[in-house]
Amino acid sequence: MYSSSLSQPEFDYLFKLLMIGDSGVGKSSLLLRFTSDSFEDLSPTIGVDFKLKMVTLGGKKLRLAIWDTAGQERFRTLTSSYYRGAQGIIMVYDVTRRDTFTNLSDVWAKEIDLYSTNQDCIKMLVGNKVDKENERVVTKKEGIDFAREYGCLFLECSAKTRVNVEQCFEELVLKVCYD
Amino acid sequence: MASSSNAKHKRIAEEEEEEEEETLEELEGFDDFTLASSWERFISEIEAICRVWMVDGPKNLVEKGAECLGSQKKLYKVKSEMKHGTKLYSIEYYFCVSNKGKASFWDDDLHDLQLSFGVSDFMVIAPLSASGVVLDAPESTKLLSSVAIALTNCGSGVVLDAPESTKLLSSVAIALTNCGSNWPAFVPVHDPSRKAYIGIQNLGLIFTRRFDADRIGSQVPIRLMHLEGLYELFISKFALYSVDFSASFFKVQFAMKLTYRSPPYESDDEIDSVDPEVNESKGDIVSSNHIKTQWDDDCPWTEWYSAEDPIRGFELVAIWSGRMFESSLEMAELENASSFDAEKWLLCPIIFPFMMDDSTWMFVGFASQIRLLVSALDMSFEAQFLDDFVSAENPASDKSKSSTAIPPPTVLDRVLKEIFHDGGHNSHLVERDNKHSRAIKGAPLESLFAQFCLHSLWFGGCNIRAIASLWIEFVREVRWCWEESQPLPKMPSDSTIDLSTCLIHQKLQMLAICIEKKNSSHDTHNSTESVDHTPSGKKVDAEADPFKEPVKDENGSYLRSYSHQDSEPSTSSSFKHHDYSVRSPDLQKVDQVRKGSAGVVGSMMLLHSYQKMHAPYTQDAPIMTEDMHEERLHAVEVFGDAFSFSGQLERDILSSDMSAFKAANPDAVFEDFIRWHSPGDWENDDTEGCAGDGNNWPPRGKLSQRMSERGNLWRQIWNDSPPLPVLEQKPLLDPIREGEKILHYLETLKPHQLLEQMVCTAFRASADILNQTIYGDFKPMKTRFNQLYITLASTLKPLQANHLREKAELIGDLRRLCLVFEHIEKLLIFAASIHRKLLDVPRLSEAMFSDYFNFYLPKMGTSLESICYDQEFKTKQLVMMHERDAVAILFPPPTANQSWRKVLSMGNLLNGHEPILREIIFSINDRVEDSHYGSSIPMATTEEIQTHRMYIQGTSNDLWVALSVTSWD
Repeated sequence: MYSSSLSQPEFDYLFKLLMIGDSGVGKSSLLLRFTSDSFEDLSPTIGVDFKLKMVTLGGKKLRLAIWDTAGQERFRTLTSSYYRGAQGIIMVYDVTRRDTFTNLSDVWAKEIDLYSTNQDCIKMLVGNKVDKENERVVTKKEGIDFAREYGCLFLECSAKTRVNVEQCFEELVLKVCYD
Repeated sequence: MASSSNAKHKRIAEEEEEEEEETLEELEGFDDFTLASSWERFISEIEAICRVWMVDGPKNLVEKGAECLGSQKKLYKVKSEMKHGTKLYSIEYYFCVSNKGKASFWDDDLHDLQLSFGVSDFMVIAPLSASGVVLDAPESTKLLSSVAIALTNCGSGVVLDAPESTKLLSSVAIALTNCGSNWPAFVPVHDPSRKAYIGIQNLGLIFTRRFDADRIGSQVPIRLMHLEGLYELFISKFALYSVDFSASFFKVQFAMKLTYRSPPYESDDEIDSVDPEVNESKGDIVSSNHIKTQWDDDCPWTEWYSAEDPIRGFELVAIWSGRMFESSLEMAELENASSFDAEKWLLCPIIFPFMMDDSTWMFVGFASQIRLLVSALDMSFEAQFLDDFVSAENPASDKSKSSTAIPPPTVLDRVLKEIFHDGGHNSHLVERDNKHSRAIKGAPLESLFAQFCLHSLWFGGCNIRAIASLWIEFVREVRWCWEESQPLPKMPSDSTIDLSTCLIHQKLQMLAICIEKKNSSHDTHNSTESVDHTPSGKKVDAEADPFKEPVKDENGSYLRSYSHQDSEPSTSSSFKHHDYSVRSPDLQKVDQVRKGSAGVVGSMMLLHSYQKMHAPYTQDAPIMTEDMHEERLHAVEVFGDAFSFSGQLERDILSSDMSAFKAANPDAVFEDFIRWHSPGDWENDDTEGCAGDGNNWPPRGKLSQRMSERGNLWRQIWNDSPPLPVLEQKPLLDPIREGEKILHYLETLKPHQLLEQMVCTAFRASADILNQTIYGDFKPMKTRFNQLYITLASTLKPLQANHLREKAELIGDLRRLCLVFEHIEKLLIFAASIHRKLLDVPRLSEAMFSDYFNFYLPKMGTSLESICYDQEFKTKQLVMMHERDAVAILFPPPTANQSWRKVLSMGNLLNGHEPILREIIFSINDRVEDSHYGSSIPMATTEEIQTHRMYIQGTSNDLWVALSVTSWD
């Protein structure tokens, strides 16, 4: 099947994106919002999930293959393989849970260093669940500072209210395109 | 001297020519009646050319494309040609742009004539070479033969004898006077090897400087071998001129430059080591009768080849400058002076020509062998299987000639043995993690496949047939290890697969793990039986644990080292667990059914039974090689775009974890598992949530929304998973099946797939070996080497991609890469050589390296055509005072054996070595009184001018003297 899609591509570019971050920060919800514009409580991802999305950007048809990984530690050894060849990596944290933010530098940034085979891979930091503004514990400034330190793009968004979700993927793809 | 008969021929030829000249003159004469003779015409022609040059001035001449001479871009040359009679003459004007005035005596960049006569700008007029001589009259054909004879005897230039050159010189002198120039002009005399010149320079109106130089090619009188005699020669020259000097003692200025050359390092072994055959395989070097140690014996590449020392030796220049001498006795004294007394020492390495020549046979090293490997890759596309190359009747092998022979079985056996058994390099297995090196998709240096690649580089000239036969034997050996359950040598035993390496290495890693698992599963079988016999699995644990690695159980699984704040450090868990169960006899009942526990999880209690929660041993996540990952990704891409997909494999893992957890905690419920496995999905109601606190029992909490929804996949899997410890579970990875698959891969590998990975690995391993070289702190080298890694990584990247590009383009790229590699390899060898030779003077070695580096740099383009240098590397480095002792070590006193060969004839020995070249400048300055012509002369009245100057250059058997004398006309 995939070979047929290779022989007659209906797209100009294929990009591989990866989503990582602690369990429960809303990676799958973000992805669901982006790919089918819906929001529902999802079962925790088992290992890995995968979605395809066609987008048109600057007149070019892009096929995005987005890998959504499970945040549980048990799956971490497995997910290492999905870092391979990823052109963009989205690091997601929950603005209402500080540990999900601190784990980015303690755990996830290290995983990227360890497993990413693509030197020019673009990283993006995403703070999710900004709809719960009254429960927020990680400020926007902290997010910006982190992004600056690790050289990432940065955006805050909400999978629930749709705020910034489109922009998040689009900005990343644009950067991958033109870098 | 050249035979006198030739001289006679020459004479005759010239006479005849002159006759002809006259006849031609008669013919041409009527063209121009204003000039009396062709000679006058000739003079005016010279004059015209000189005027053009004078008007232009140096700056314009440079802009108009004057030829630059020398490396420092100081000296330029313009050239013109003219005809006089039947002869063509070249007239050249040399001029300095910067540094106007006299350069220092011993500037390396000086033109011979500048050095010899102490001039800066000058002209040279010489008859042109044979090709330039135009003989148009039919009569001249008969002359041709005689001219030709004369020419063959003197190389390319037409030879002038003394009277003729005098005539030529005077024409120039007249021309120059006419245009008011004070350029010195020179005319060569005799044949070029004699380097004889005469010259003249007008200095204003009163003075004329005359120049004269000649050479004695052999049988130099002993008197003239010594400073004293040379001094007297100089004195005699100006004593001849009855100049109005006041007294008989003259203050002679003296400067001397002595060049020493260090003795060759291995004079006797030279022929041996040049022979490329010796380098063909590592073993041959060892077995060949080299008793002397090679210079690079302890360099990292010597395991594979022996490099020619790029530094043949050193030239040391010792300079005495600006001394005054008044008597010949002082000169004799100076001759005994040590070269340590010289004012200046300059050192320059003598570079072996292979450093500059890119011809493929000149340099044998990794680069040359990898180039062969690339050719093998080129050929590898011709066949489907590697066996095709080995079998004789294959069309591919028909083309093969003797250059593609397979080495005899004995050699094959020896190499195989080396690959699999030799070398206790295991300590290096944990490589210095070079980030650059990892970016190249090859096998790590000390690994089995890298060793295979390195050996094949030197195996039978690295042709495709030799490689194929070695590979087939290699795979056979690997299969033997598999079937006999022998651990694979030179493979790291940690149970991960490095996906940044090449596929073959990954497969071998996987195979090593499979062999290990195969062995242990065999063991496990026995221990599982014993579990069945014993009522308490606990006891087996307690018995087994002290003899095992604490973290690891028999199945090769790892205890999870979770970073939960409440989990115990895993290393000590088994013992603590044991202690704990002894102290709590009330838990005995549970223990009897508990299986596969790896220890309690901190203070966590099961929700329903108020038992300590036990973490189970779990199965390793199955290891996968790159192609397996890819297969999976494809499968997911094909089937996975449905809603809520999860990979079957991930479900299996989750299910296995749940089974193991159930077995370790017989009373556990789904919530317990979630609290342990995905703590984020358990929400404590109270903020502290301290489960260990008895007052709060049971903890008021609930599953997260997403975990507690109806139809939650996790709960479904939980319900379907039977309680089973890992030992009783179906393994996630079947070692027997996977192992066989790997061997199948290795046995059916396409030739080009093998070669592609070999090329990558060979580049990576060679670079890693070279990178271990110790060469001091040469920054440009380090930078270049890192650049090499980056270039390698980016150029090799497309090599193992699934879709191959245009083959020709690929091979071309790889060949270019070999050239780049060769440059770096040569530079590195040079760096290592100069570093170890000048170990005690790091400043000097560093400076020399960077000189050489800059000299070499223009070659390092990535184009396939090599740039061959005709110029030699001559940049000298000043040796500091405190560095002299260390430099003098380069000139060890000659052994008795060496010293009898030479008769020492010059003085100023350095550690018993006489200079190979001695250059001396004598000069006398005099205060000029301008009594003759009043104030019209250009010089100020009190200016000192050099009245006599003599430049002497000599070795132990020849002597060249150039004299310039200023006189009142």
